[in-house]
Amino acid sequence: MLKKEQSDLLTLTGPGTAGGRLFRCYWLPALLSSELPENDCPPVRVKLLSERLLAFRDSEGRLGLIDEFCAHRGVSLWFGRNEEGGLRCPYHGWKYDRTGQCIEVPSEPVESGFCNKIKLKSYPLVERGGVLWTYMGPADKQPPLPEWEFAQVPPEQSFMSKRIQESNWLQAMEGGIDSSHVSFLHRGDLNSDPLFRGAKANQYNLKDSRPVFEVVESPGGLFIGARRNAESGNYYWRITQWVMPSFTMIPPRGDHPVHGHFWIPIDDDNCWTWSFDYHPTRALSPGEVAAMRDGKGIHVKYEPGTFRPLANKDNDYLIDRAAQKAGRTFSGVEGIAMQDASLQESMGPIVDRTKENLVSTDNGIIMARHRLLRSVKALMDKDQAPPGVDSVHQLVRSAAVILPPDKPFIEAAKDALVVRAGTAHASV
Amino acid sequence: MQSESARAASAAEARFRIDAPNSQPRSIKVIALDHPSEAIVKRLATSVWGNTSFLTTLASAPPRDAPFSMRGWLADLAGHTKILVDEIEHADLVVMIATAGENIESASIIGEACSLKRVMTTGLVVTAPSVPGAELSRSLAQLRPWALMLVVASAEDYIADMLMALRA
Repeated sequence: MLKKEQSDLLTLTGPGTAGGRLFRCYWLPALLSSELPENDCPPVRVKLLSERLLAFRDSEGRLGLIDEFCAHRGVSLWFGRNEEGGLRCPYHGWKYDRTGQCIEVPSEPVESGFCNKIKLKSYPLVERGGVLWTYMGPADKQPPLPEWEFAQVPPEQSFMSKRIQESNWLQAMEGGIDSSHVSFLHRGDLNSDPLFRGAKANQYNLKDSRPVFEVVESPGGLFIGARRNAESGNYYWRITQWVMPSFTMIPPRGDHPVHGHFWIPIDDDNCWTWSFDYHPTRALSPGEVAAMRDGKGIHVKYEPGTFRPLANKDNDYLIDRAAQKAGRTFSGVEGIAMQDASLQESMGPIVDRTKENLVSTDNGIIMARHRLLRSVKALMDKDQAPPGVDSVHQLVRSAAVILPPDKPFIEAAKDALVVRAGTAHASV
Repeated sequence: MQSESARAASAAEARFRIDAPNSQPRSIKVIALDHPSEAIVKRLATSVWGNTSFLTTLASAPPRDAPFSMRGWLADLAGHTKILVDEIEHADLVVMIATAGENIESASIIGEACSLKRVMTTGLVVTAPSVPGAELSRSLAQLRPWALMLVVASAEDYIADMLMALRA
């Protein structure tokens, strides 16, 4: 249970809100690089933190993220002509560069310098690991560029997708750290999904459906450990990383690529779910990439030409009651991503947390909220940068390990929980 | 025509959710396992809570040479001895509070009783950054067999937040 005013602090992220200010401390994934494939390509509408923006790559390949609307009469620059170092409004020819600076107002004498008085709001946009990242906070607080490992490995070792989720970011993110749902909602997928099957660890999951959890604060967020019984009295540990405000890395299985998410607010009722897969020491195989493109693992199939999942609320997520009855899926919805999203969207745009009845195994969610609220307060009261901004907090890994019963994972798996260049994840 | 899911998940439809209590008060026992934790529990107990009791294992452990008994392992914060099994019998949750590095041998007694009575247990270790890892490890090792959920928190304010989240 969370009081409404506490829930509002975290779920409302538009301009001027405390939650929005928190997100504006970080580099956020804004677009896939492939959405702006070449110089002078069509601009792309981007909505983030309840602001409508436009991204474009100019004639010299420089990236811009600016207010979507022309300062003259308010038309959308999405119709603009991306040419000769800027974006020209098709209505009256006003032209803007990648910083939002107006560089031409054809109706005014050049000598008047009128265009210098016109500037659209803009944010930096940088390319890293196949993702275009933006920072929407004050310029003097801009943190170092993102250092996430998936964005640092060679391109052939990683895969990134994104999808629209029609719910507030917080309930989507909370699903990502709610480890106890896996044994139910996704139980049918461990042995069938090509990006999961075959790992020895799957047997531990399927044999012991009542894991015991340990939640430990980390410098950037949380370690969420789930332990199950293994051979000879040892424990099989799966350790998930959550880094503030909304990054998760799921523990690996065998030699499969490692995956995780970011949840980024579009507005208060919608968010982007970013889903990455990568392997630190080898290229992804053609089969793995094909499976990811085909919506397996944590990815989805799309409605053509969009980032909206093919299974969505308008078609009842293509629910298959026969598959549910036969046990092929637990909820009747196919695929891990949409199994999660369908339930999280069913909560309504922003779930009423005053009505919920959390239990002890929800301590990961409770602790995440606690840390988010504490950080928002420190940011608002003391202008203190939140955890997760420091790039050291981003150099983390999830892990799956077998440990003796008396060894705490935070000590015994210490090395496995940070990036070690040239080594694979600790996995079972 | 709008699908069932699209209509039901809209903000407009959220207005028709039933506005009535959907749970009964839970019985939660918060038990301090060591001296610093007892001070924490005493501070927590000054707030207004529902059906939650605050207890301590200190000053109530039977003498080491006495025959084993489930009596006398618990006391309320005023120092009145409580019968362990009676206290936990009808609890929905037992929260054991420990401080990293302290002696918490009573965790096994509380945990055993909870296991016997099929009561959910949460162990919560409060640790400062200055506490050596080995001391935290020792505390975790003592709690791990008896806690179905184990949490390591850097500050005691998490406990109040957790209890509120659990409708204590």
